[in-house]
Amino acid sequence: MKLRFWGVRGSFPVPGPATVRYGGNTSCVEVRCGDTPDAPRLILDAGTGLRRLSKELMQTEFGEGKGKAHLLVSHTHWDHIQGLPFFAPLYQAGNHFQVYARQRDDTHLRTVFALQSDNPYFPVPFDAAAADVEFTELSDDANFEIGPVKVRCTRLNHPWIAIAFRLDYDGASVAYVTDTAPFRDILIEQKYIRQPPKPGDPLHPEDAAKLKAMRDGVVKLCEGANLVIYDTQFTPMEYSQRPHWGHSCPEDAIEIVHEAGAEALMLFHHAPERTDHQLDELLAQHRIQQQSIGSSLQIHAAYEGMEFDVTSAGVGPVLPAPIVPIRGNSTPPRPPVPAAGSGGSGSGGSDPGKASS
Amino acid sequence: MKVTFYGVRGAVPSPGPETVRYGGNTSCVAVHTDDDDLMILDSGTGIITLGRTLLKSPFGRGQGRAAMLLTHAHWDHIQGFPFFQPIFILGNRFTVFGPGRSSTMLESILEGQVNPHFSPLYTMKNLGANFDLVAVNGEPGAQTHRWEQVTVSAVRNPHGHATCLAYRLEQHGRSLVYAPDAGYPPEGASQAAIDLYRGADLLIHDATYTPEDRSLRMGRGYSSFADAAQVALRARVRRLALFHYDQDYTDDQIDDCFRRCRAMLDAEGGKDIELIAAREGLTVEF
Repeated sequence: MKLRFWGVRGSFPVPGPATVRYGGNTSCVEVRCGDTPDAPRLILDAGTGLRRLSKELMQTEFGEGKGKAHLLVSHTHWDHIQGLPFFAPLYQAGNHFQVYARQRDDTHLRTVFALQSDNPYFPVPFDAAAADVEFTELSDDANFEIGPVKVRCTRLNHPWIAIAFRLDYDGASVAYVTDTAPFRDILIEQKYIRQPPKPGDPLHPEDAAKLKAMRDGVVKLCEGANLVIYDTQFTPMEYSQRPHWGHSCPEDAIEIVHEAGAEALMLFHHAPERTDHQLDELLAQHRIQQQSIGSSLQIHAAYEGMEFDVTSAGVGPVLPAPIVPIRGNSTPPRPPVPAAGSGGSGSGGSDPGKASS
Repeated sequence: MKVTFYGVRGAVPSPGPETVRYGGNTSCVAVHTDDDDLMILDSGTGIITLGRTLLKSPFGRGQGRAAMLLTHAHWDHIQGFPFFQPIFILGNRFTVFGPGRSSTMLESILEGQVNPHFSPLYTMKNLGANFDLVAVNGEPGAQTHRWEQVTVSAVRNPHGHATCLAYRLEQHGRSLVYAPDAGYPPEGASQAAIDLYRGADLLIHDATYTPEDRSLRMGRGYSSFADAAQVALRARVRRLALFHYDQDYTDDQIDDCFRRCRAMLDAEGGKDIELIAAREGLTVEF
């Protein structure tokens, strides 16, 4: 499996000089399974990182309307879907997308996604997407196959509920565990939590049982994985102030990964306020900590442009890759529309993806 | 008036090395009036940075008061709102001006953004701050509004299939006009828009594209820097700030837009118009 990280940030995009190296785009990870042209192409989450991937895909078969990809969405909070309206291949007839996400309430998944592009929030309605888009609504514990890739899900501890995915392909395995709070202080379900508990306060036995089941599910999902990508947005201090926000610390991820006997951990979904320098320090601190206890766990911190192979032998060399520079202009694609009051003097921009200067 | 830019980008936040100088956050401008009242123009992701700075002011203690003026409801003009920290603090008060026939319509726009499918806030009612909503019509001859010592008037500009409000703020003879997302027809801006912009001390205007890129995308409802220069000349404003750059324009491309726009103003009788390229952190005082 070949992984590429296009967005690694949590909550909201953070442009600026302090995030240039790790990147400021929200969650998006690309997974290719195999080298052949028909090898399944998976995309984990559709945060703003999807915009850069979009530009690259338009140079491939997706630009000709012959692309096919599977989009696995952990949950529909903004930072995991906000890149979709700017995903050019969606507006190219002939492309095919299969979107997988957890069934939430009686609202159809298509409607949830369509809401994002609805009037008055976005000028191009979701129904104007010329590509073929199909939705698969998943249960918490879904098991399914995408060609030769086996996908397993388990529930996470996050408002309105997120799910984790495990991908198994050709002996290699990757777990994608975001967004989640740890499983000890609070059970987060579908209600707004006005008053968070203090971490360490006793839990209602029913909640404790549910959390234990959830934690067991996550450990099992990560069992023996070559790589676990985990929501490590918080520091322990930040977590103690906001346990109800639904995010973990590196310490929580390390505990799970050790218990599951996984080989490598990717710190992911970085806090928006975390600077490049702080992420360097955080990573170094946890690597030293692991060495000091004689652990062989590899720890990485995800950055935009990061690319590597995961095989049954483990995570291949993690090489720094330059962030794909964006040159020229290609704003979100639109279906052809008459130029408002322009008497036809404009083209309407039916295929701006190719209009790069 | 003291005007500070917190987000100057259009469509979608665009992090990366090529946007570091002008900034990649979406639309948000803060205006401190002569009486030190705060008015916030749009709430793109730039408002998140503003929110952090406000925590050191009375907003951090739940004693803040501000007006928030929304031009339209496209994501890049509202998406920072759920992450604007002063809204979580009990006691802060916001008067939100926005497009709509009624305040109910405006409320449903804000509610839609924090709906539990998309946001852990679930509903606006969970926020600590208090919101007064004021629907702004923007039709010719519509009433002006007053907030503290500031007069607020508005005109609706065409914006693709939608419309976008342009606001004029006036206080003690000083005037600021904020006009993002304006897609004028080939004959140019309406007389109502020019009247709104007339003589402004500062006109912050949509300059999403170069004229070449705009000609390929007429239907999208954005201005080029040339359109911005034209309205600045027609309305004889004192300062023009280019704003709302295309998400793919690099810092160097924006430098180039600025140079070309300056040359255009000089050549067409606008040597006296001060030209500014809006960038995050820039403050203009007049």
